[in-house]
Amino acid sequence: MPSSMPPKRSTISLLTAFSFLVLAVSGVLAFVRPFSIRIVGLHSLIGFVFIGLIVLHVLNNTGHLDRYLRRSRVWATLGIILLLAALFFWQPAPVRSVLSLSGNLGPAIDRFEVTDQGLSYQYAPDERYKMALNVRTGLGFDPAKPPHFAIWLENASFYHIKTLHTPTGLTDAASALPYWDFKRRGWEEAKREADASGKDLAEELGVDAISAPTQNSSFDPADYILPENTDESLPYRLLIEINQAGDDQASLVYAVDIDNVDPRTFQLLDLVGYPKKEEGDDDGKEVWALYYVDENFESALGLIDSALLTIEREK
Amino acid sequence: MSNKIKGTGRREFLQSGLLGTAAAGLTIASTTNVSAQAPPEALEPEVTNDVDVLVVGGGTAGHVAAIQAARAGAKTMLVERGAQLGGASTTGGVSFPGLFDAWGKQVIAGIGWELVKESVELDGGKLPDFAKVPQRHWQNQVLTNQFLYVLLAEEKCTDAGVEIAYHEFPQVVTKTEKGWTVDCVGFGTKRRVNCKQIIDCTGGAEVVGMLGFSRLREEERQPGSYLFRLGDRHEPGRTRLNRLYVHGADSTNSRTVTVANMTGRKSILGKIRKEGKRITHLQPETGFRESYRIEGETLVTVNDYRSGRVFDDAISYAFYPVDLHTKTGVKPKPLKPGTVPTIPLSALIPKGSTNIIVAGRCVSSDQLANSGLRVQASCMGMGQAAGVAATLAAKAGTPPLDVPLKEIHALLREHGQIVPGNA
Repeated sequence: MPSSMPPKRSTISLLTAFSFLVLAVSGVLAFVRPFSIRIVGLHSLIGFVFIGLIVLHVLNNTGHLDRYLRRSRVWATLGIILLLAALFFWQPAPVRSVLSLSGNLGPAIDRFEVTDQGLSYQYAPDERYKMALNVRTGLGFDPAKPPHFAIWLENASFYHIKTLHTPTGLTDAASALPYWDFKRRGWEEAKREADASGKDLAEELGVDAISAPTQNSSFDPADYILPENTDESLPYRLLIEINQAGDDQASLVYAVDIDNVDPRTFQLLDLVGYPKKEEGDDDGKEVWALYYVDENFESALGLIDSALLTIEREK
Repeated sequence: MSNKIKGTGRREFLQSGLLGTAAAGLTIASTTNVSAQAPPEALEPEVTNDVDVLVVGGGTAGHVAAIQAARAGAKTMLVERGAQLGGASTTGGVSFPGLFDAWGKQVIAGIGWELVKESVELDGGKLPDFAKVPQRHWQNQVLTNQFLYVLLAEEKCTDAGVEIAYHEFPQVVTKTEKGWTVDCVGFGTKRRVNCKQIIDCTGGAEVVGMLGFSRLREEERQPGSYLFRLGDRHEPGRTRLNRLYVHGADSTNSRTVTVANMTGRKSILGKIRKEGKRITHLQPETGFRESYRIEGETLVTVNDYRSGRVFDDAISYAFYPVDLHTKTGVKPKPLKPGTVPTIPLSALIPKGSTNIIVAGRCVSSDQLANSGLRVQASCMGMGQAAGVAATLAAKAGTPPLDVPLKEIHALLREHGQIVPGNA
């Protein structure tokens, strides 16, 4: 940089250079470290500052830039950048393998992906907790026409506490994934009623009225994912409901029980059953129950080969 | 693990006539080996019965064992210390027997199911749909009317030809050439029963204890439960009752049972005063979850139970979570999908014995396995199997373990039971 540069111009250049330094370091950290709102927040906000400084930098250097843009290599450089952008956007296998080296799941706390081999869901709400659900597709799975499915958590009283994956492009969840839809609606309704009445959600739902000695359950996902109290186990479970449109077979539900105090690193989900609407309980409320799979199921059983839940939690 | 009776070998001891004095100091973890005190002298009988099979205890396993033995052609007598049959299902108030199903299929049927089904249907009740996945294991327990069950159990016993002796209990058991002589006492009654085979369905293997065979008992046992109902009107037998834990409940003898019952009732009275509610139902006595278990030819461990081990000599299925009640309550540990434990015949045979078999919660097992095995449907399954084994043994003049397994399985199937394996 020439020493005769005006102070304003040199100040802008220095600010641009230093902000770029912070941007670069925070970008590398965001890639290699588990997700942290501090690092990602720093990277994003300094990025906005950097954009403003770049605008000023461009204004200070219009002469140089004008000359650069008149050179023939401008198209080559533009082409290189556009090619890289396209490559990183579409993420072919080599790019994905590089991304898989990242310790961060991105700015979102979960990520869902359909691959050639199956479905992959990753959930990392905290640096100390990483959940991955890998579903290997079976012979009945058609990648061109993937089935609908939902992933959610239930507490030990079998109440929905959190939907991890909401099916996309689904107009009628009640038909395609009735069990998840029933559970989620019940939870939302109870939350509304609890808010209106000022009651606790567990009290509103009358958790475990019969089996009094059985552990009542929290409705706060944090109590399961990163419990503060590790003296007493508070089990919960993860469920998948999957349904192939147009196969004339009911959806299927797979589940696995998880110990919140000492979760196993690897667990396979078990096929639990298929949902069926009950006649209605004594209060006339809508009730769905699961039934054991019978001989009416054929291709639906081949949608999933196996489903592996991996939980890595800081001990 | 060895277990020697002081001063003599077991076989010699058993053949020495009047039995009972024994002691053993064997300990497995917190499990203690105990035996009963010496019995009184033999009594001069007022009544004498000569039968093939004597069933002691008319509870969950006993009445099924007696019906099975009689239906299979054995001359059968049933001695019960109380005034009615059914045990935990009736006197204990646990009128929701289970579990007869596992993973969408029925795994225990036979005489126990026949009684449960008939009592529900006659009472206008509803049987659970076994095709439905229960969210909790107890959802597939069958709600029965305990009063109706008492009537039906008695009718089926008498129809089968079982001679019932209520309010009596064995005092002295003597080995004979053909089997056993059992002296029983009731109020105003002294009875001598000469039998070929004994089925001990006393819950705590009381006859096995009198004979001096090794039994197991935990230092800290699961609490008993006293069942009652406060407040609203209810349909007796068709709704679940309230439950009050009686910690330290001990069914060893009439004195400890008295203490347990009085403790439970006192607590319930305190509850009535505290809550200001009317009492609308009270069972006559405490239900005991755990007391003595035999040390059998085979011991069912919790690993056998959880893994669903199919024993070579399996005679019935069992299905229930590992369900250990403690001072802080219970956290049932469900079995893995598809797992259905089995019960071997050799776990019903006291180690080193001949011509005696047990059925019910005293099955040879460790405490955790027993917490799942002790439930009513499993006890009914054991009772029926013991009834078959004792009958065939009485007919053949052999110990129950020497009866070919194929014959036991075939007779069980003939009487509607579901049998593990293909023997």
